[in-house]
Amino acid sequence: MVRGFVTANGMEKKRTSDEFEPGPIPPSQPVDRFGFIKQEQNSPDGITKSRPANEHEREERRIRKWRKMIGVGGSDWKHYVRRKPHVVKRRIRKGIPDCLRGLVWQLISGSRDLLLMNPGVYEQLVIYETSASELDIIRDISRTFPSHVFFQQRHGPGQRSLYNVLKAYSVYDRDVGYVQGMGFLAGLLLLYMSEEDAFWLLVALLKGAVHAPMEGLYLAGLPLVQQYLFQFEQLVKEHLPKLGQHFSEEMISPSMYASQWFITVFSYSFPFSLALRIWDVFLYEGVKVVFKVGLALLRFCHDGLIKLPFEKLIHALRNFPEDAMNPDTLLPLAFSIKVSKRLEELKQEYEKRNVASLQQTGSANRQQLAIKDKEFSIRPETSNCVPKDDSSR
Amino acid sequence: MDSSSSSQPEFDYLFKLLLIGDSGVGKSSLLLRFTSDSFDDLSPTIGVDFKVKMVTIGGKKLKLAIWDTAGQERFRTLTSSYYRGAQGIIMVYDVTRRETFSNLADVWAKEIDLYSTNQDCIKMLVGNKVDKESERVVTKKEGIDFAREYGCLFLECSAKTRVNVEQCFEELVLKILDTPSLLAEGSAGVERNIFKQKPPQADASTSSCC
Repeated sequence: MVRGFVTANGMEKKRTSDEFEPGPIPPSQPVDRFGFIKQEQNSPDGITKSRPANEHEREERRIRKWRKMIGVGGSDWKHYVRRKPHVVKRRIRKGIPDCLRGLVWQLISGSRDLLLMNPGVYEQLVIYETSASELDIIRDISRTFPSHVFFQQRHGPGQRSLYNVLKAYSVYDRDVGYVQGMGFLAGLLLLYMSEEDAFWLLVALLKGAVHAPMEGLYLAGLPLVQQYLFQFEQLVKEHLPKLGQHFSEEMISPSMYASQWFITVFSYSFPFSLALRIWDVFLYEGVKVVFKVGLALLRFCHDGLIKLPFEKLIHALRNFPEDAMNPDTLLPLAFSIKVSKRLEELKQEYEKRNVASLQQTGSANRQQLAIKDKEFSIRPETSNCVPKDDSSR
Repeated sequence: MDSSSSSQPEFDYLFKLLLIGDSGVGKSSLLLRFTSDSFDDLSPTIGVDFKVKMVTIGGKKLKLAIWDTAGQERFRTLTSSYYRGAQGIIMVYDVTRRETFSNLADVWAKEIDLYSTNQDCIKMLVGNKVDKESERVVTKKEGIDFAREYGCLFLECSAKTRVNVEQCFEELVLKILDTPSLLAEGSAGVERNIFKQKPPQADASTSSCC
């Protein structure tokens, strides 16, 4: 008599008796070129419908160039990068061809080497170890890229791989464990490589195989998120002074909109085509591209943002218009913004302030904070060495 | 469209509300059901989210500014500053998961004590997912007892079937409207800085600076 609850996509959800049996294969739905289910049937998607012939040819030429640069299975890559780093940088900024993306990502992130140096380790982590985060991971699996065909089927191959990678990482690095947001990194990687490859790429990023380690984004207290948000706020004030002023008048802080930019490297809520292009550059050049893209977004929307009051501002900063998120306009704008030198200076400034601010803001709560576990302390490692001297600034 | 120069204020009061509770209990779903009357597969909240809803409750036009927070413990360094200045805090648990209920006393009530700056702030306890009646492990009586002990309002609801969702916000707001100190903070004349994360000391110092 009472039918099951009908969900938004018109499917009836059934309760399966066996928790770990794969769910029904979802009915085939139209997807975009990345495998995401289309929101609207009749969205004007010119790219897939009528791609001009010359664009197709250009793409073919590009792939041939890339293949030559990489060599068979990546054999020529290191040699090429050493000889012509600027060519590599320029080509990566234009976007890695989708069919080679998975391989190139492994080469530029250093994960290939990690994989080769650690045979059998991934399997060991997946099969034999147990993780304190298993339930947390399971709870989030179906909430990660839920609109992608690969991750849609309950306990299907996509969800299983995602679980394995996250569980393996949470065992590999028990200090980090599992933190929400990591699923988006792993999910994005799994669309381009095997489980084991995705795992080692995650390791390469968090442990810093090529660039500065990212693990501080996920460790207790999220120290690196705090640092990046501070740096970003300062950069906004310097690069976009009017907007920076408007933000402080409206009391908008970057923690209200930019935390997820850093924690998931734009993979959480941005168009996939943009996220991939950012990841191409991110893996080769490091985290500074996240700052550049963030600043470019604000600059692109500057004139609109500057007129908005608090609540509309927050909404706008979480829902950028489509034209702002077109990679072919946003990325060139981002590359034109120089941040490297200031980022380093601001990092040092942050470390100095960090010590001073703990003394101030902590005064009210310090006693309670001390009782609670270290999770609550923002910068646990510096909390013991607070100078009493106020004149240090 | 929006002429800020219009003499008539668009609302009588503006209240800042906050949603807290363990990961996966349905905070974002509850908010989505309330603000857009829809239900969807939502991704976990990373950091904080924010939504605004205009309502008419108790004959007053109200603007509700609602902060939604990440439930995972690791994110508390990012979410703790959003308690400041909230007139209402909704603590959500999942009636099918015991630990989300026990964490209310062990974690969330303590978070409120630590970070809420508003002495009179109204607290509301909400047990979500009552549509899964057969999987329920936390009884309604336990919810009522907790609410009594901690001085909260209490309701059970389902963001999925929309049962009691509006009532959660309505009861909370009615209680805020009943509390003179909160009402004063939220009145349209006091300006919209109620949204903002102003540290409490800043107000006192404004007169002395110039």
